[in-house]
Amino acid sequence: MQVRKTNYQVNATPTFQVLTEDEIEAIYYAALHVLAETGVRVYAKEGVELAHSGGAIVEDTTEDSSLIKMPSWMVDKARATLPERVTVVGPPYKDGKRKHVMELFKNQIYYGTGSDTPFTIDPYTGKRRRAVYQDVKNMAKLAEALPNIDFFMSLGITQDTAVGTYDRWQYLAMLEGTNKPINITAVDIEGVKDQLEMAYIRLGGKEEWKKAPAFSLYIEPVSPLSHSEEVVQKLLFCADNGIPMVYTPCPLAGATAPTTLAGTAVQALTESLFGIVLSQLRKPGAQVIIGGLMSNMDMRTAVYCYGSPEMALLSAAYTDITKWLRVPEYETAGCSDTKCFDEQALMEASINIATAGLIGGNMIHDVGYIEQGLTSCPELLVASDEIIDRTKRILRGIPVTDETLALEVMDEVGPGGHFLAHDHTFDRFKTEIWRPTISDRQVWENWELGGSKTYQERVHERMIGILEAETEPLLDEEMYQELRRICELADDRHKDEELDLQMFV
Amino acid sequence: MSDILEQVSTAIIEGDLDEIVDLTEDALDEELGAEEILNKGLMAGMDHVGVEFKAGNMFVPEVLRSARAMQMSMEILNPLLAESGVQMLGKVLLGTVKGDLHDIGKNLVAMMCEGAGFVVKDLGKDIAPEGFLEAVKEHDPDVLGMSALLTTTMRSMESTIKALEEAGVRDKVKVMIGGAPVTQAFADQIGADGYASNAASAADLAKQLVS
Repeated sequence: MQVRKTNYQVNATPTFQVLTEDEIEAIYYAALHVLAETGVRVYAKEGVELAHSGGAIVEDTTEDSSLIKMPSWMVDKARATLPERVTVVGPPYKDGKRKHVMELFKNQIYYGTGSDTPFTIDPYTGKRRRAVYQDVKNMAKLAEALPNIDFFMSLGITQDTAVGTYDRWQYLAMLEGTNKPINITAVDIEGVKDQLEMAYIRLGGKEEWKKAPAFSLYIEPVSPLSHSEEVVQKLLFCADNGIPMVYTPCPLAGATAPTTLAGTAVQALTESLFGIVLSQLRKPGAQVIIGGLMSNMDMRTAVYCYGSPEMALLSAAYTDITKWLRVPEYETAGCSDTKCFDEQALMEASINIATAGLIGGNMIHDVGYIEQGLTSCPELLVASDEIIDRTKRILRGIPVTDETLALEVMDEVGPGGHFLAHDHTFDRFKTEIWRPTISDRQVWENWELGGSKTYQERVHERMIGILEAETEPLLDEEMYQELRRICELADDRHKDEELDLQMFV
Repeated sequence: MSDILEQVSTAIIEGDLDEIVDLTEDALDEELGAEEILNKGLMAGMDHVGVEFKAGNMFVPEVLRSARAMQMSMEILNPLLAESGVQMLGKVLLGTVKGDLHDIGKNLVAMMCEGAGFVVKDLGKDIAPEGFLEAVKEHDPDVLGMSALLTTTMRSMESTIKALEEAGVRDKVKVMIGGAPVTQAFADQIGADGYASNAASAADLAKQLVS
């Protein structure tokens, strides 16, 4: 073979970068400074003792908490055993096969939903109301059907189930709706234990879980620099039981973190580094995914912005940091501050989905969130699937080879000819040119014949189509009852402390 | 209005921390009464701030800076107001409920209420019903405000109201609640006197509750 080319560099995908390596290092060493000098407050004795035994300095102990300062070598030591790659799988289908696997490491992207919104937009009336069990099941069914949704979180709190045990019911609703990997939340440590038990049942035993865990657990330390008892308990339990943990603070620039985005990144990293160190002290090799949700406060309304350019930019910058650190990341996109499925929802989701994809965030969550994370929107979930698809086309880039340069083809067709019937077109148009599934490209007359439907109407139809499609249950009756039993036992244990179950609905 | 009151009012609006103390003392030197400085200088400025904030022309950090300027002036005026027996708007007791460390919203409410002219006692976060009850007994507030971010901790608001009832002090204090998952319907259900969806309207609500 004749070789004529040399020094030729290829971009297999577009590249996007917010921070340089020097900037990343500046932020990282600043976080080490904060962890060693300012410290973090820990509201859990067990966590304080573990940190102390690992070399941390314990100061200013009060009745319920201590200030913990960690010398930088503790972080170095923890990073040496921290997994660079974390895997979460979906449970198997009835044929025994798992079809959905998330391998989280540098530059791998997976999109998924957000979790635990008090409200949802009713798919039929379009009205905002309290979320219930059926909503979570519906959202899971949508996620199961949408090809670009890779993992699921409970898009709604099941508020028609008991307040202290709703997490188990949510997990059941999710398992009824999808076999994709799940990121669960838990009311408390008992809630994690019950859901782990449910996962063992779903997978067919603890050994199956050991091979590949079927959920990760969402753990949220409170900014600025505070780690509650519940958060530390969950972290320790995850480390002990091989549960990947999403340790993600949600700092709010200007309110619970410095208003400068670099300062917010430093603080978020400090908060996550504490989680990393504690997890590795408890069990070297414990699986941690750090986040990933950081934004600014809107200074007119004092709300947490999910659709701001700063949210997209800061999350992307944090992805640069986590790639450098070689720790899997929890990114944020597909979300908006709007109140209904409208132009703002699509504009904000499009920009943050594209940004998160371009930067290469690993576990990109919150698809389907509106109203600052208070409401889930099924239509935004469906539309986001197409936005993600569109984004992935951009991520595939433009391969430049002798074949794609198509010199021979141009020579054959020549000036004034056309390419429509050429084999080169026939062979390649499907992979080269993206086709929309909901976006409209019809000529005017056909669009009119089809009912002159707007994008919103077409998204609504797609959503209803998925929700009303007959699908085979993912759980057989026996397994469903077994899982349900765990939820009911939890209800029994908590029945004395519950308020009226109807208080929310 | 005298020049000096206008200057005090402007210093409040601009959040001028360098000038407010001197201006307050200048006003007293001009033999203006503490009550007049409070009403025609400080509150006039804060009222303007409130209007501009609602119109979207002023922002949270600016409002808080104004409230801080007012606090600095009040430190000088408070002893004089107490001497002459002038009543402040009232006392607001605030806390984030048990199990919840999310207190940014509550902190905002505290600063907004101070700016509105209330004396604020902030209990902090993770406050159990008994903690609220004890504080109500100790501080005798006009308004008790509770905040929660989580649906799991919201329940604690109802327990607190029950505890106040059982202790026989429910009638002595107005209860207002807020936080992301809280709604007016929930407030009605648990027997709170009011609900506010944001910090500025919480201060307005507190004013309504004491009027």
